Amino acid sequence: MIESLGVFVASTLRLATPLVLGATGEVVSERAGVLNLSLEGMMLSAAFAAALGAHASGSPLVGLGAGVLAALLLAAAQAWLSVRAGANQLVVGIGINLLALGATTFAYREIFGGLSREVIPSFEAWSVPGLASLPLVGPALFQQTPLVYAALALVGFSAWLINATSFGLALRAAGEDPRAADQAGVPVARVRMLCVLYTGACAGLAGAFLSVSSISTFTEGMTNGAGYLAVTAVILGAWRTSRVLAACLLFGAATALQFLLPALGVALPTALLTMLPYLLALAAVSGVVGRSRPPAALTLPFRRGSSR
Amino acid sequence: MTALSSSEGSGLRTNAPRAGNPRPATTRIASLGVRAVPALCVLGALGLGLGLIALTGVPLARALPAFARGIVGSDYALVGSLMRAVPLSLIGLGYILAERANLTNVGGEGQLAVGGIASAAVALYGGAAALPRPLAFLAPLAAGALAGALWGALAGALKARRGSNEVITTLLLGFVGLQMVYGSVQSEALLRQPRTDSSTLPESLPLPAATELPLLARGSGLPLHVGLVIALLLAVLVGLLLAKSSLGLRLAAVGQNELASRRAGLRVKSLIVLALGASGALGGLAGAIMIQGDQHYLTAGFSSGFGFDGLVVGLLARGSAWQVPLFALLFGALRSGGLAMEMSAQVPAAVVLVCQGLIVVATAAAAALGRRRA
Repeated sequence: MIESLGVFVASTLRLATPLVLGATGEVVSERAGVLNLSLEGMMLSAAFAAALGAHASGSPLVGLGAGVLAALLLAAAQAWLSVRAGANQLVVGIGINLLALGATTFAYREIFGGLSREVIPSFEAWSVPGLASLPLVGPALFQQTPLVYAALALVGFSAWLINATSFGLALRAAGEDPRAADQAGVPVARVRMLCVLYTGACAGLAGAFLSVSSISTFTEGMTNGAGYLAVTAVILGAWRTSRVLAACLLFGAATALQFLLPALGVALPTALLTMLPYLLALAAVSGVVGRSRPPAALTLPFRRGSSR
Repeated sequence: MTALSSSEGSGLRTNAPRAGNPRPATTRIASLGVRAVPALCVLGALGLGLGLIALTGVPLARALPAFARGIVGSDYALVGSLMRAVPLSLIGLGYILAERANLTNVGGEGQLAVGGIASAAVALYGGAAALPRPLAFLAPLAAGALAGALWGALAGALKARRGSNEVITTLLLGFVGLQMVYGSVQSEALLRQPRTDSSTLPESLPLPAATELPLLARGSGLPLHVGLVIALLLAVLVGLLLAKSSLGLRLAAVGQNELASRRAGLRVKSLIVLALGASGALGGLAGAIMIQGDQHYLTAGFSSGFGFDGLVVGLLARGSAWQVPLFALLFGALRSGGLAMEMSAQVPAAVVLVCQGLIVVATAAAAALGRRRA
């Protein structure tokens, strides 16, 4: 029982990490008024590019760089299309997801071909000196790959960026009332585009975590909705970084339970656990538990000088 | 959302009612150009698809005939393409219906899912098979439409009463719906077939023959079912509703300016629930048609992206009901052709996904840029 507690904590953290990385990036964009459904596609492309980079170079670090670059490319497309061109954010996001799923599946078959499920060079776990030898949860919490710690640091950075910097003030203004922000001299379009690129970089880390840190391989469509789940975590977290982190950990725990409960002989329909994140988020946006209000200008394009 | 922000639109402006308000000639020429854009986007994306096929090293002379054979190569292939277009068309019609009230229904996938569950449940355990012939298949269809309507109306009610953004709620309800299909075929207490041995798959029992959709060409053995007729009839109906009925006008009014509509005495909240409910009903009906017409049993993931593709179909049609079946046909054909190309010419069907993604992104961009020039 105690042993499985350690396993449970460790797998919760491992399953939550891609969500944390993706969601802390996404929360910055959404606070600025841009909803990126393309998070899923960015993460998937990053997972593929990271696997490819690590495979070609033998170094997971190169893979990580390739992953971030791939996600940034899609983020730039999302940013230009939805902010500069004023295209519908959701539709652009869904299109990018189709594109990413098709392109990674195609490239995977062409490049890796028959060598499917090839093991990719990946990051080793790193023990925090001293803490990792703590009884019970020591190995679970303090013997993880570097990206897990990076994810937690990134939450702090995003919170600081949003709440304590002048850029953060500008992005919040762009997300709540872009017209007023514009009149106050905030370059709304540039701020929004930078935020989407930040989301892209974080999504790159999230995707790379999947293929070169968590599981050392790439499989077709391997994100399997993790990007959408990260977007859901932002909703449940009411667009606040600390609560978004809590939501991600909760989702990670729910997924970990799906594997743990059968092992403990508890019969709970797994569909209930997989449904839980979406139900909780629904309850949150409908005000059943707490009140989760999105930024006022979320998904609305802004065009300078237009009256409507 | 406030009236101000909804009049600003989600970027999906329809060319809603403009009768009696002729625009200047220059705008009309510009809008003619904009109208040709979806076709250009489709052509461009297909061109890039050809490039990708060339990359695989499979000669185009082998890949393209395989693609074409998959769409129209035989009666069977042609019917397959048509039948794939049916649910896409229904979802697309639902999308433009909600779009008219400036509501974005991105939950087609979930509405398909709950429609499929309800249809299978009524067909298998609701006693539908014992009903006289037309009712035997109509009752599960109605159950599917009703389930989809509830799913859509739930998002509508949350928006009307709580102000919850319908984009977020329909998306979340979509994922819940997908998980419900998975859950209902996992448990024998729900819809899973009785386990006879360890190899029993997590699916429902096959539907009773009486509840399957009647075939249109019974003698030929082709799976051409009555769903095609239903989809075409509904395209006409939705077209008339949007263009000619007072309900269509009221939906457009709510879409254009919620505050003004309320001042004019329209029941804005009811109209929002109605629009999303009707949109969901079309999605639920599509799910029921897929189960009763094509699959004949319920299985996890049966909707396999049709909901998202249908959304794209609705988007490309740009508010026009008669264009929905055309784009549905295009996407149905792309799916059929892609599968055939993968099987007989070893070109990954992922090429089709890339083309679809490009079509979506390019169309969204072109629509926005066109609006900007106008």
